[in-house]
Amino acid sequence: MSQALDDRSESIRMIRDSAGAVAPRDGDTKRVRALRFVEPGFSRDVFAEMGALGWIGLAAPEAAGGSGLGMSEAVALTEELGAGLAPEPLIPAMLSARLLAAAEDKALLGGLLDGSKVVLTAWQEKADSIAVPGTGDAPRMFIPQAGGADAFLLPVREGNRIALVALEAAGSDLVLEKTMDGGFVGTLRADLSRGSRIADDVGAVVEQAIDEAALATAGHMLGLMEKAFELTLGYLKTRQQFGRIIGTFQSLQHRAADLKIHVSLTRAAVESAAAVLDDGATGAVRQAAVSKAKHRAVESGMYVLRQCIQLHGGIGYTDEYDVGLYLRRGMVIMNQYGAAALHRRRFMALAPEDVE
Amino acid sequence: MAVSIAPKETADLSAMEDEAFRAHVRQWIEANYPSELRNPPKRLHWDENKPWYFKLAEKGWLCPGWPRQFGGLGLAPAKQIIFTEEVERHGCARTNDHGIVMVGPLLINHGTDAQQQEFLPKILNGEHVWCQGYSEPNAGSDLAALRTEAVLDGDDYVVNGQKIWTTLASDANWCFLLVRTDKNAKKQEGISFLLVDMATPGITVKPIINLEYHDEFCEVFFDNVRVPAKNLVGTPNRGWDMAKALLSFERIYLGSPRLSAYAFARLRQLAERMGVWEEATFQDTYGRLRLDLEDLKSLYGTFVDKLRRGETLGADVSMLKVFQTELFQRITDTMLEIAGENAGLLEPMEGNRNLNPTGQYIQARPATIYGGSNEIQRNILSKNVLGLPG
Ligand SMILES: Cc1cc2nc3c(=O)[nH]c(=O)nc-3n(C[C@H](O)[C@H](O)[C@H](O)COP(=O)(O)OP(=O)(O)OC[C@H]3O[C@@H](n4cnc5c(N)ncnc54)[C@H](O)[C@@H]3O)c2cc1C
Repeated sequence: MSQALDDRSESIRMIRDSAGAVAPRDGDTKRVRALRFVEPGFSRDVFAEMGALGWIGLAAPEAAGGSGLGMSEAVALTEELGAGLAPEPLIPAMLSARLLAAAEDKALLGGLLDGSKVVLTAWQEKADSIAVPGTGDAPRMFIPQAGGADAFLLPVREGNRIALVALEAAGSDLVLEKTMDGGFVGTLRADLSRGSRIADDVGAVVEQAIDEAALATAGHMLGLMEKAFELTLGYLKTRQQFGRIIGTFQSLQHRAADLKIHVSLTRAAVESAAAVLDDGATGAVRQAAVSKAKHRAVESGMYVLRQCIQLHGGIGYTDEYDVGLYLRRGMVIMNQYGAAALHRRRFMALAPEDVE
Repeated sequence: MAVSIAPKETADLSAMEDEAFRAHVRQWIEANYPSELRNPPKRLHWDENKPWYFKLAEKGWLCPGWPRQFGGLGLAPAKQIIFTEEVERHGCARTNDHGIVMVGPLLINHGTDAQQQEFLPKILNGEHVWCQGYSEPNAGSDLAALRTEAVLDGDDYVVNGQKIWTTLASDANWCFLLVRTDKNAKKQEGISFLLVDMATPGITVKPIINLEYHDEFCEVFFDNVRVPAKNLVGTPNRGWDMAKALLSFERIYLGSPRLSAYAFARLRQLAERMGVWEEATFQDTYGRLRLDLEDLKSLYGTFVDKLRRGETLGADVSMLKVFQTELFQRITDTMLEIAGENAGLLEPMEGNRNLNPTGQYIQARPATIYGGSNEIQRNILSKNVLGLPG
């Protein structure tokens, strides 16, 4: 292995290790359960810890106060946090950090990177879309864990450019809705006259940041499916019916084998896409790689999560048993930053096949 | 048959033309269904949906499949399907229907005159609300491994043990229970059927919160519960055979197109709302689901036909259960796929109960688990229908 690759796997290993600070290694879900449906749906302290650990600025340049790492580390981290069901809005915060770094807004960026301020980007104007029209007066929807925001960033179209406006969260018109996993999403009706314009054109950066967030979300899904599968495999090895361990039934063995295939496909798609981005891919190459990974994570992820419920029988349908928590989180993230069909379409449009 | 219960519905609905029958049912439902109960986002509790149960009971439409001499409508399969379609189209809540679907057929087939006389009218008038006490923590798929035991003591059986996953046990005032009455026999040969009053001392019901955050099923504990021996159905220790026969009623019920049809109607509304209705790719997906649903209805009709001719259903009824429940899941999977970020919302979208993709999706998950998991149904099909060895 080359020195560069060696360094990379070392930094990925360190990131995975550090995730233990937030995602308990033993899979304990007490913390996560206690936060459900209690506004804002996550812990400010843990968010601050994420900042202190350098996670929010993971991919932000070192010059801007970030860690200067790449997507390979980012997906390793979001995978670990998915496995730990962490409800903190780390991926949206990373997206905001990317924008603030580009805007060179040191004041807001500093607070976000150290985790003392939650800054969320209100870019989305309709469901199942990764487009950023930047319509000034359009309500901004589906802002994850928006109830905990200190400030919002709004991309606003000005002619051919997308300016960035920062807005204090206090006093803004924000409506929260509960999500399946115990969190909240917000709809913001912003009064732009209260905001301050912090960048002239973030159009390209926003696109890239959304791509990165889509890929990071694919990583989160990978973590959900890995952990749910691990629980399920354990159950197949212990649960008895008909005087036998149910894992001895061949139909269940085959199912488990299928699930393993889907977990492996997803890992391969996510990690290879991260490598493409870390190689500096831009434009269509970057977009195709991200779409490939997000598509796979949703398709395989939801299949695995559904089957994990099925293989548990009745207990899988209870709130008390953990396996359902992964399915619920999967429902919440599956279509964030684009549903499978959207990414399938984008991939087909961007990556034409070589046909003789 | 000695017992005869006059049907409340005196008109012979079987004589009507199908389309006239459909219009008749639709009109009556629209005029009588409590509007605040349309499209409930979750399964309703008895207190919430009893007005509808009583309406149906009063009209004599509670049991479309029961023979007329037992107070049912005795409808032919095509009409039962129409009836179901209209109920689902209007978004009527599912009632507490264990008495209608299971206890009725059990007693009609195996009950004594006295049991029929005592219990059937009380299902028909809503006085008795039933729950199904079969599964136990260690007897799910392997139901015959059940250990809740009943020991004869004078004129009573004394019941001890635990049931689990008992749907709406907290609403029920009666339970049909499978118990072990002979611990020394082969496991299938020591099981009996008992009808138990839930108010009997020694019974504790503990609700379990499900994936929908709803207290729909329960644990039920029995601690020296005394049940009159006359409440044993059929022959002692022969309960397993009856339970198996009854499961075919449950499976044809679970194989009925109602859940799929209900979800399917909402899929279109969701697609229109999300702006994908006219897309060719969606139309293709929708067309496939629609044809699956049509063919399910046809297959269902052949089974209901057999029942009407008085034939007993064979193991092949498992085909219905498998196909229906998996279609229900595919329809709701499609809902989430087109719902965008609404796929993660706890409540129906925009407060519109017709737009409830997450609720429908979650409710579809256990359909492949309850009533005999689909793995078990496939085992039955491959062994008992196809005769494959093993
Ligand atoms: C929503 C809901 C409502 C219910 N309502 C009731 C009710 O009202 N009354 C009642 O008595 N019960 C009820 N049940 C219980 C239901 O019947 C059981 O959950 C079901 O029989 C499965 O049993 P189990 O949960 O113990 O799972 P297990 O039997 O432990 O099964 C675990 C997994 O192993 C698989 N498996 C088991 N054996 C085999 C095999 N031989 N070959 C291949 N795969 C196998 C199963 O398919 C499943 O995927 C309900 C369940 C649910 C989810």
